[in-house]
Amino acid sequence: MRDLFRTRRMWRPRSELKRSYEVVIIGGGAHGLATAYYLQKMGITDVAVLEKGYIGSGAAGRNTTILRSNYKTPEGARFYDASLKLYDQLAVELSFNLLFSKCGHLTLAHSDRAMFVMANRAEVNRLNRIDSRLIGPEEIKQLAPAMSLSPDATYPVMGALYHPPGGIIRHDAVVWGFARGADEGGVEIHPGTEVTGMQRDGDRITAVQTTRGTVAAGTVLSATAGWSSLTAAMAGVALPITTHILQACVTEPVKPLLDVVIVSSQMHVYISQSDRGEFVMGAEIEPWTTYRMLNTLNFLQELARHTLELFPQLEHARMLRAWAGLCDISPDYSPILGATELSNFHISAGWGTYGFKAAPIVGKTLAELIATGRTPDLIAPFALERFYTDSLVSELAAAAVSH
Amino acid sequence: MRRLPPQPDELIDRTRPLTFTFDGASVSAFEGDTIASALLAAGQHVLSRSFKYHRPRGEICGCGQCANSLVQVGDAPGVRACGHAVQSGMPVVHQNAWPSLRFDAMSVTDRIGGLLTPVGFYYKTFIRPRRLWPLYEQALRKAAGLGRLPRSRAERQWRTEYRRRHCDVLVIGGGIAGLSAALAAAERGADVVLCDEGPQLGGSLLWEGGAARVRQLAARAEQAGVELLSGASALGYFDGLVAIWQGDVLHQVRARTHIAATGAIEQPFVFPENDLPGVMLASGARRLAELYALAPGERAVVACISDSGLNSALALKAKGIQIAAVADLRTDALRRPAAIALASAGVEVLPGAAVVRAAGKGHLEEVMLAAVTPDGRAREAAQRIECDLLATSAGMMPSGSLLLQAGGQARYEPALHRFMPTVLPDGVHAAGSICGYEDVDAAELSGQIAGLQASAGSASAGTGTGTESLELRALRERLESHSAEPLTPAPAYTRDGRRGGKAFVDLDEDVTVKDMALAVKEGYDVIELAKRYTTVTMGPSQGRFSAQGSARLLGELTAVPLEEVGLTTARPPWVSVPLGVLAGRPFEPAKRSALHAEHRRLGASIRWAGDWRRAYDYGDPDGEALAVHTRAGLIDVSTLGKLIVRGPEAGELLDRLYPNVISTLQPGRIRYGVLLSDSGRITDDGTVCRLDEETFYVTTTSTGATAVEQWFSWWLADWRLQAHITDVTQGVAAMNLAGPNARMVLAKIADFDVGPESFRYLDARQGQVAGIECLLLRIGFVGELGYEIHCPGPNAGQLWAALLQAGADLGVRPFGLEPQRILRLQKQHILVGQDTDSESTPYSASMQWVVKLDKSHDFIGRWALEDAAQREPQSMLVGFTVPSGEVPTEGAVVLAEPGGAVVGQVTSARRSAQLEQSIGMAWVPPGAAFDGARITISDGQRTLEALITTKPFYDPDGAALRS
Repeated sequence: MRDLFRTRRMWRPRSELKRSYEVVIIGGGAHGLATAYYLQKMGITDVAVLEKGYIGSGAAGRNTTILRSNYKTPEGARFYDASLKLYDQLAVELSFNLLFSKCGHLTLAHSDRAMFVMANRAEVNRLNRIDSRLIGPEEIKQLAPAMSLSPDATYPVMGALYHPPGGIIRHDAVVWGFARGADEGGVEIHPGTEVTGMQRDGDRITAVQTTRGTVAAGTVLSATAGWSSLTAAMAGVALPITTHILQACVTEPVKPLLDVVIVSSQMHVYISQSDRGEFVMGAEIEPWTTYRMLNTLNFLQELARHTLELFPQLEHARMLRAWAGLCDISPDYSPILGATELSNFHISAGWGTYGFKAAPIVGKTLAELIATGRTPDLIAPFALERFYTDSLVSELAAAAVSH
Repeated sequence: MRRLPPQPDELIDRTRPLTFTFDGASVSAFEGDTIASALLAAGQHVLSRSFKYHRPRGEICGCGQCANSLVQVGDAPGVRACGHAVQSGMPVVHQNAWPSLRFDAMSVTDRIGGLLTPVGFYYKTFIRPRRLWPLYEQALRKAAGLGRLPRSRAERQWRTEYRRRHCDVLVIGGGIAGLSAALAAAERGADVVLCDEGPQLGGSLLWEGGAARVRQLAARAEQAGVELLSGASALGYFDGLVAIWQGDVLHQVRARTHIAATGAIEQPFVFPENDLPGVMLASGARRLAELYALAPGERAVVACISDSGLNSALALKAKGIQIAAVADLRTDALRRPAAIALASAGVEVLPGAAVVRAAGKGHLEEVMLAAVTPDGRAREAAQRIECDLLATSAGMMPSGSLLLQAGGQARYEPALHRFMPTVLPDGVHAAGSICGYEDVDAAELSGQIAGLQASAGSASAGTGTGTESLELRALRERLESHSAEPLTPAPAYTRDGRRGGKAFVDLDEDVTVKDMALAVKEGYDVIELAKRYTTVTMGPSQGRFSAQGSARLLGELTAVPLEEVGLTTARPPWVSVPLGVLAGRPFEPAKRSALHAEHRRLGASIRWAGDWRRAYDYGDPDGEALAVHTRAGLIDVSTLGKLIVRGPEAGELLDRLYPNVISTLQPGRIRYGVLLSDSGRITDDGTVCRLDEETFYVTTTSTGATAVEQWFSWWLADWRLQAHITDVTQGVAAMNLAGPNARMVLAKIADFDVGPESFRYLDARQGQVAGIECLLLRIGFVGELGYEIHCPGPNAGQLWAALLQAGADLGVRPFGLEPQRILRLQKQHILVGQDTDSESTPYSASMQWVVKLDKSHDFIGRWALEDAAQREPQSMLVGFTVPSGEVPTEGAVVLAEPGGAVVGQVTSARRSAQLEQSIGMAWVPPGAAFDGARITISDGQRTLEALITTKPFYDPDGAALRS
């Protein structure tokens, strides 16, 4: 509240790059800045965050801000639950209101097969003490009275996985809050600084080349989402990742009539209504690989059609703005997190469409890895190594379109 | 506003009056009026309340571009009142004000707003105590949104359509530049489409005294064959595909070349109280006067930076509106011919002056004019002038969004005081004021040049390039003789230095100069960050009146040149578009088998299965399943994917796709197979039957049919084998006759020997059944003697009836999907996608027998399976029974021990009436994958003990199947 009556900078203006840092973080998005924030909390402050654009200009600023932890695998559920719990405390910790709206999250089932997946997730979640359960059309109607539950619909709603602690948060605020916290602790944030290469000596990265000069680094973390395979390639590390675009859009604001997040895999749509009154909608990644962040008309048409199947009254709602972002998809739809075959090059990658949800726990666990050299148990299942030992963590059924 | 006497170019038809309602009260209008022009004529000056501060807002642009004129029409929110034609009986209501537009309780935020609700206030407040935030949030949410949508609705009511059009040249914009471009291209033989968002073609000349000229040009273009779309907004450029919204239709136009003649938008000044109703763009005021015969005010002040504003003053004066003063930012303004004309008409022109404040209660009453410094401060005590209209003209911003979406680039041009398109993508041309050609003749010339270039670039148009290049050169020379009119750049913000009054950079979002300054001070000092923090340019008008102004302000605040500040990314749609228009006609086809009517007649409960509507059961799933065991049953399996793979290398193709050997199959024999991904995961399964040396008949799962066809075709293209794939899924029906009596039923109506020696298990026969040519596969998904009978779709009803009739005295009854699931579960036959998931290999699914690693061929997934064969799987698919008889929910999990970790899951579970047991399949750790092992199943509140059974529950040796 007191910040209302005083003006203070969120972060210092960009300084000159030093010649060397204990830790260099590539990517000034939610993951990079969260890691920097938790590093300074652990006393590691000789840290530079290098961002090629402005902070939060990549996936952190393009996602549709949904938080949830009702994942399919026990490993995923535990991990995202820890993230959600951190998110819950984050506004107070950062003294910045992140506008976390714990409005609840409904994943609709339109088929026997989907009901099976929801039942499975509900049970895995329940056993991990995550508030998540299978509900029927009556309860869905109470939670989302605006939604059409007509049995004559092309894909009638048979049930839903209800996840009360899920919701939406202001994505930019998360970025800014972490950036301010990291900056206060002494971390240097360098926007407009693109990494162009890395110098390697044996199993170590010795320095990072940037558009503003070369900096030596004790440890390097790559947190570049859609560009992660390119950044890793600079270090000589191959990632089993394909990059796709995910598109989304927002309508002009109207008076709120939808208070929960609705996700339907079968209809390829997810939809929520922000506190400003805008409907925010998205769907699936495009099947082809690309780095061109451009919308396709076909996508917008399909998205509108599917939205109207669930919410016919939105036919007069006006799409105001559409955009696209990059998603780095791993073979099992789980992230690739932590150490690589190099001794001082760590990654946060393979985040597909679910990276934003994990930002605080990624930051916390990677900071711990960097500080102690040990991989925390929570992220051990997500090691890059699993693709060489064939011990995958398949979130395929739960991750696709399940924002 | 009063109506003027009839104007020469007015759009209203005074002979056709009509009435509509606004907030329930009847309002008179004429045909041709917009909602706004009718409301203004009726004395309604306030059209809306603003987003954040609920300030009264009036008309600005007169053409449906700004957010001030948003109203609700029936169920449609966000209708642009000044761009939308009024219709008789139309129910119009205001948005975002309570209890009324006149008295809005929420406008209290305006008075206390400066202190408590600066930009981003919500980030800084309501943090502690945490539990109170949801309450604050509810309050914020109550205040959110502008218009209203119906609370609920069963189905869509608005019928919209798609239209697809291919052409040589698409011209976007129907002003003089666009029209002359379209005409030039069409005259050279090009097939041309032109779209324009206005109600009439002609652009700004319609209200700038050139109406006759553009109407004549439009008529010529039409005669030359140009397809003219008016009231049609181009939404975006999607890799050459342009979407155009016109009423109920979404045109999707693909042209060889494009011409952007999208014009430029007049920009407002930013000064304290610049949002008072009565402050209008000069172009808006002129539109109201010329097109709708409205007096936009009685006593006007004009503030401008170029001749365009002086011309507006002259035009308004000609309509009988008193011009109290003109403030022209140019210090040498008095030398301009238009200024001399104004002076001689008795109008005072103040050179070097700008508007530095407005004032009034609910409506403009006076403005302050003063000479200003380049950064906008008043140099002197301001001159107070009473007026009820301030017409502003602070330069132009090109409507470059579509060009930028197409890959064009823009750069700030100081001389023109605007961002100009510089690099144009291939096949895209630009003409008119978007390129800075404001002068009518120059705009026309630039249009002709673009039209010539575009027609030369399109193949079907006449060529004769030699002469055209001469023609082009001549036009270019003429164009170069036109010079842009001189102007003085408007400061980002003009002010008199007195305290008080909000100066809005963005009216849509109520973003003030102070907000932007605060954002910069806090560190949001690049345009994208400032945009995200203040929401400047993010409102319904998409930055039309704020993108250039906010960039300029940020540049001043941070002392960064405008060129470096840049603009925010151009994103579709350029015009916000109703979802109903984008969606087109609802079109989600349901697939129905040829036997669908039969199932309905037999009382089946019909359910979705993938894209299909299928008979789930006929009212008695247990009885239907038992009939298959004891007598016989008949099920429609037309949904199976069916491919014919034919050619000398068809066998080779299949050997590479399946992990077992297909090419050794004898004609007339059948083999089961699974399909694998590159990583050895099961993606589909089905049977392959060899019909003759070069022909295979492949069946797939129902849901996998399309994907398998694509998978086969993709690899066939890659390997270039001599084979051909035909998908016959839709044309061929199939039904499975199964049960101990199946052979006897078939024998009655088949024209060939169906005896156990001549028609063995895994044999395929072609012959007539009930006189219908069929392919019969002796396979047994449900575990009894069975024949899968494939026949042409049109004959399916006849065959179905014949089989039921022949089997009437042998107890044949139809069975549905649910009994089939019970029957196959008894045999532990997997359902791909139900029992397997994206990580299942043939090894983990206990189907190692289907993999032939010793075969000489490489096949998809081989390397992965070779690796998988070396290690123990993480979990295994096995059968289980529940001694207590309880049936777990499918999706229940398997625990290491009661209360222990999750180690697996139940994929299928049913009660079998035949076996009088609760049976199922589950993924369990390899250590528990043996007969008799005990597992714990956790299912919501239940914990069940189960026993592993690795063999089929029913007929484990397959005696019934082979009988």
